[in-house]
Amino acid sequence: MTIEGEAPEDSAEHLFEDAPCGYLSTLPDGTIVRVNRTFEAWTGLRREDLVGARRFQDLLSPGGRIYHETHYAPLLRMQGTVREIAVEIVRADGTRLPALINSVQHDDEHGRPQRIRTTVFDATDRRRYEDELLRARRQEQETARELSRSLLSGSLPAAPGLDVGVVYRPAVSGLDVGGDWYDAFWLDEADTIGLVIGDVVGRGIGAAATMGQLRSAVRALASTGLAPGRLLDALDAYARRHEVGRMTTLLCAQLGLGSRRLRYACAGHPPPLILAPGEEPCFAWDGRSTPLDVYPASDGPRGEAAITLAPGSTVLLYTDGLVERRTESLTDGMERLLRVAASHRDESAESFVGAVVRALHDPEHVDDVCLLAARVGG
Amino acid sequence: MTALERNNVVEHGPQDGRPMVFAHGFGCDQNMWRFVWPEFAEDHRVVLFDHVGAGGSDASAFDRDRYASLHGYAGDVLEICRELDLTDVVFVGHSVSAMIGVLAAAEEPERFGRLVLVGPSPRYIDDGDYAGGFSREDIEGLLESMDSNYLGWSGAMAPVIMGNADRPELGEELTNSFCRADPEIARHFARVAFMSDNRADLARVRTPSLVLQCADDVIAPDVVGEYVDRELPDSRLVRLAATGHCPNLSAPEETVGAIEAFLAA
Repeated sequence: MTIEGEAPEDSAEHLFEDAPCGYLSTLPDGTIVRVNRTFEAWTGLRREDLVGARRFQDLLSPGGRIYHETHYAPLLRMQGTVREIAVEIVRADGTRLPALINSVQHDDEHGRPQRIRTTVFDATDRRRYEDELLRARRQEQETARELSRSLLSGSLPAAPGLDVGVVYRPAVSGLDVGGDWYDAFWLDEADTIGLVIGDVVGRGIGAAATMGQLRSAVRALASTGLAPGRLLDALDAYARRHEVGRMTTLLCAQLGLGSRRLRYACAGHPPPLILAPGEEPCFAWDGRSTPLDVYPASDGPRGEAAITLAPGSTVLLYTDGLVERRTESLTDGMERLLRVAASHRDESAESFVGAVVRALHDPEHVDDVCLLAARVGG
Repeated sequence: MTALERNNVVEHGPQDGRPMVFAHGFGCDQNMWRFVWPEFAEDHRVVLFDHVGAGGSDASAFDRDRYASLHGYAGDVLEICRELDLTDVVFVGHSVSAMIGVLAAAEEPERFGRLVLVGPSPRYIDDGDYAGGFSREDIEGLLESMDSNYLGWSGAMAPVIMGNADRPELGEELTNSFCRADPEIARHFARVAFMSDNRADLARVRTPSLVLQCADDVIAPDVVGEYVDRELPDSRLVRLAATGHCPNLSAPEETVGAIEAFLAA
């Protein structure tokens, strides 16, 4: 069907001037050669002040100008088109118009750029909403990080012949905090300390809160004198009853300072690393069972193991973020840990864990990582 | 992991040619040089790379401490030179990479034969009599700009490669990929690059240098190019007719001509 007689509103002139978007045409260097009425109305800038006098990038906020020069202009030159770039255009009265722009570069027959055509969409409301989303996301990340920090604060046991070092590295900012934790505390027996390392499934505030609950529960159970294996059994019951922390992996240990006796039980967690003076570092693969709350009751009580450490030995507990990388196998990561730990064995516990984490932690920080080292009788 | 893998090093030209190392600036990757390097590949050993976090680099090699200043990036350049056993290097650095080259050449002068600094700025923020062109607030504004733009870009953007001329159907996917970068790392790089002050390092450079200054460069204004030229002990300034901050893209012929003249001198 055809419409009889073209209304003035449908003329090309009208379609351009009063389009529902700002419309500019510029030279390749950004100098404005044409601009429509909508753009004038939105910005308060007049075409006689723009055409031949200003470049498009001159109309942007200073930060946006850098973005324009370092991202937008190169992209346009390389691809001939860019879409959905967020900018702020400074209006005549100094206020800013948040906008999304699309641009197309038009070349002559030799491929030389002649004109850039840009449409400008008012994105005021969208930007406000995005700002809210960004703020909310940052707030949540910060809260989780703060929660995790406060849960992990507190002093470490100190005594002659005992050297304890810890390090906690949260995932890189921008990702949510995970649920890794460490703990070291005196037990009722005066010369025995409890050592714990664990990793709660999940991320964010929920994982941090779960970690806090389990950490407190382990401390409370340990204070009743339970050995590591029985402690894990009791923690299973706690996790099941209160529906918290299922599939958490953790390692509970007790270390006697006089006897240098290490008793430990490992619920699905990477094995502790033992560094004895004059010997190759090795992993302690005994006392293992499944992660929390998935241990079959029919298997009887969880196992545990014990070894006596040579004087000056170091035991290192860690979470999987230390040895896992996306690009290689766990075995490779653990072999690297053996090498790195050996080369830093003579350092103090604190500088030892620092050196190990620096050498091993996947710098992409996709996961949290926790290390806890204790040296006895050194 | 070698520096060659980490920085996605790509080589062209004869192995026994004079080495030319091209370093891209903030915001893009080695494709920034695609109109320039082919002009040198006949008789030079052309070395292209991506800074960690940009282009095809290994983002997992990013370390906040190592890259807390431009020295970390200069260290990468030196590692690449060492692994390839390069000497008498012509280093061509654009934008922030110009200063990365300055730092590398000050560190190991014996490796470098010539420096070509395209749109260099040793300090972007005004300081007393020194006019860098920006205020601290302006740089914060840049970070906001980056934030609002990354919102629309999926973090899982496919690792598409530029220049798939034989597969035009990829054209749509390629949108904005040339500037692909890990958002967190890019933000960190922006902060390090634009907050840095390397004015004092210029005097440490003994390598003969060329400063290429564009007209109307809002990022590295003319007075900044003059400052760099004045402070470098052995330097010449060439003003290009090209406007903007990326003559390597907007005026490759003029850029190549100026570099050739400098190398022939």
